[in-house]
Amino acid sequence: MNIPAEEEKPLYSQRPEWADVVPLEQYENVAPLAPIFYTDEYKDATNYFRGIVKSGEMSPRVLELTENIIRQNPGHYSAWQYRYKTLMALKSPLDDELQLMDELAIKHLKTYQVWHHRKLLVQQTRNPGPELEFIANSLQVDMKNYHTWSYRQWILANFNDDALWSHELDFVESMLESDVRNNSAWHHRFFVAFQSGVRNGDEDRDAIDRRELAFVKERIAIAPNNASAWNYLRGVLDHAKIPYSELQAFVLPYSLPQPPLGTPPEVVDLESPLPSKDSQLPCVAAVEFMADIHEAAGGGDLVKATELWKSLANEHDTIRKRYWEYRIAESLKTRSAGDG
Amino acid sequence: MSTSLLVPLHVAYIRALGDSKDELSYHLSAHLRMNAVYWGLSALFVMGHEDALDRDEMVDFVMSCWDEEAGAFGAHPDHDAHLLSTLSAVQILLMQNALNRVDIDRVVKFILSLQQPSGVFAGDAFGETDTRFLYCAVNALSLLGKLHELDIEKTVAYIRRCRNFDGGFGAVAGAESHAAQVFVCVAALAILDRLDEVDQPTLCWWLSERQLPNGGLNGRPEKLEDVCYSFWVLSALSILGKLSWIDSSKLEAFILSAQDTESGGIADRPGDMPDVFHTHFGLAGLSLLGYPALVDLDPVYCMPAGIIENLGLTKGWKALQRRTS
Repeated sequence: MNIPAEEEKPLYSQRPEWADVVPLEQYENVAPLAPIFYTDEYKDATNYFRGIVKSGEMSPRVLELTENIIRQNPGHYSAWQYRYKTLMALKSPLDDELQLMDELAIKHLKTYQVWHHRKLLVQQTRNPGPELEFIANSLQVDMKNYHTWSYRQWILANFNDDALWSHELDFVESMLESDVRNNSAWHHRFFVAFQSGVRNGDEDRDAIDRRELAFVKERIAIAPNNASAWNYLRGVLDHAKIPYSELQAFVLPYSLPQPPLGTPPEVVDLESPLPSKDSQLPCVAAVEFMADIHEAAGGGDLVKATELWKSLANEHDTIRKRYWEYRIAESLKTRSAGDG
Repeated sequence: MSTSLLVPLHVAYIRALGDSKDELSYHLSAHLRMNAVYWGLSALFVMGHEDALDRDEMVDFVMSCWDEEAGAFGAHPDHDAHLLSTLSAVQILLMQNALNRVDIDRVVKFILSLQQPSGVFAGDAFGETDTRFLYCAVNALSLLGKLHELDIEKTVAYIRRCRNFDGGFGAVAGAESHAAQVFVCVAALAILDRLDEVDQPTLCWWLSERQLPNGGLNGRPEKLEDVCYSFWVLSALSILGKLSWIDSSKLEAFILSAQDTESGGIADRPGDMPDVFHTHFGLAGLSLLGYPALVDLDPVYCMPAGIIENLGLTKGWKALQRRTS
């Protein structure tokens, strides 16, 4: 595979093999509001690009030209489009193209076109397997890249092959091992566990719910101040239609300033793992969770909910004071409605 | 570091974007040029200095981006038509009172042709789909007075599929909740009068959770703050009537601290280089927060509120009261 070196190459205007193409200058008849300052190299390449677009040429040298432009400017969406059309017209080996894309993708991870082009190619090759490894590698460079995770979802859902799905939970787990606060990984886990149909071996949905609850509790125990994990917990409970009150025993220690007195450190309750030694407590999300439990219980518990919201507004989460005051006001309405 | 908004400096910054500069990144962003002109013009409107850029020159530039084959606008002359640039073009022409230059029927045809069977929109013939493009389509059709030509049920159904377990919305069905995608979905639903599709308590809480201790907003949990979220998050909250859930003085201080006090413009966060994108959205956020002497911005359309009002398109949103000092 010929990967061009970053060397000094002659401009297209200087290359005899391009002499038959009429380069077209950037449209200069109108004084543009935001005039473009070109490097000679970019100007030259895009002049020749306009030339071959006009003539409709689709040839190997067009692939070289569009690669040149894309390397200088991955945002040039017309170059991507024309390159794809040329690849199709030439019936080029798409596996070679994917290899080239591997290199470009790592350099330009935040560019939409890089991922979309890849998607178009894989739709043609119908070979999704190697993509999962490629995605895993590119995530090592940028672990929360939105396009990368979305592309992974697409690979899995579009081809929907049990073999593709089989290692997905392990993959998510390893990503969370690297960073338990990776919101993209948590979101992906929810997708894999609950939103992608029922695969062979996963028919016992109650078992899946229990597994996921155990998983997220363990992660909360390791690092309690992790919004993604608490969102995930709520997501699982909502999905499984489990009332939040059932988690009270687990959540309570996280909502208190210090570990309960008298708890021997060796005791391990698998249902309710305790906060790890260095945790910052109380954990705001846990206080919030306890307040929600009390609010749902209603009656006398509303007073407890209000106390917790006050502690958030005045002490633990003052930046969202207005929100907590809103919760207090809403529950007062409920209380007076109840008394009335 | 500044604790007040340096309006004259930002006006000068935007004007200077039209001058030739030897910045390589400038020409590499040709694919964003139409958007950049819109951000610049909208920012000037918010500051009350819309005349700072030459109107005729701007309108001529927009028209030079007309893609005759597609019947819509590209980002730059000779660039293929795209929904992102088409929306920006329509917004610019409206703000410059020059919409009569446009073949509206052809633009509408282009927009509608990009809707996929699932209800999402592609950005162009290349096929990339994203709820951003859905918003561009809905916004543009509404501004052009042609919303009735859209299959609204189909469009809303797709947005519904993008709603996640945390109340947020993603770029495509199944994708992670992200504040910018939340904005485009909520604003599109507002235009379509379908805010009933939003799980308001959960989403508004999720949006208020974007505020970090330093006052800035992030786009999703455990990510860094960025000035542009001042608009994405604030606009969604103002559309849903919960803007007060953000600590506005802390956010204001954050946005102001991201100003470049030498060259003007606003950056993504304090200390970084400014750009017209963050300048616009920082100013938009400040406007919604009621910062003194700024012009009202309609958060649904992200355009001057007066213009939207004149078109009879205002939806029920609430910004913070404009302070007098």
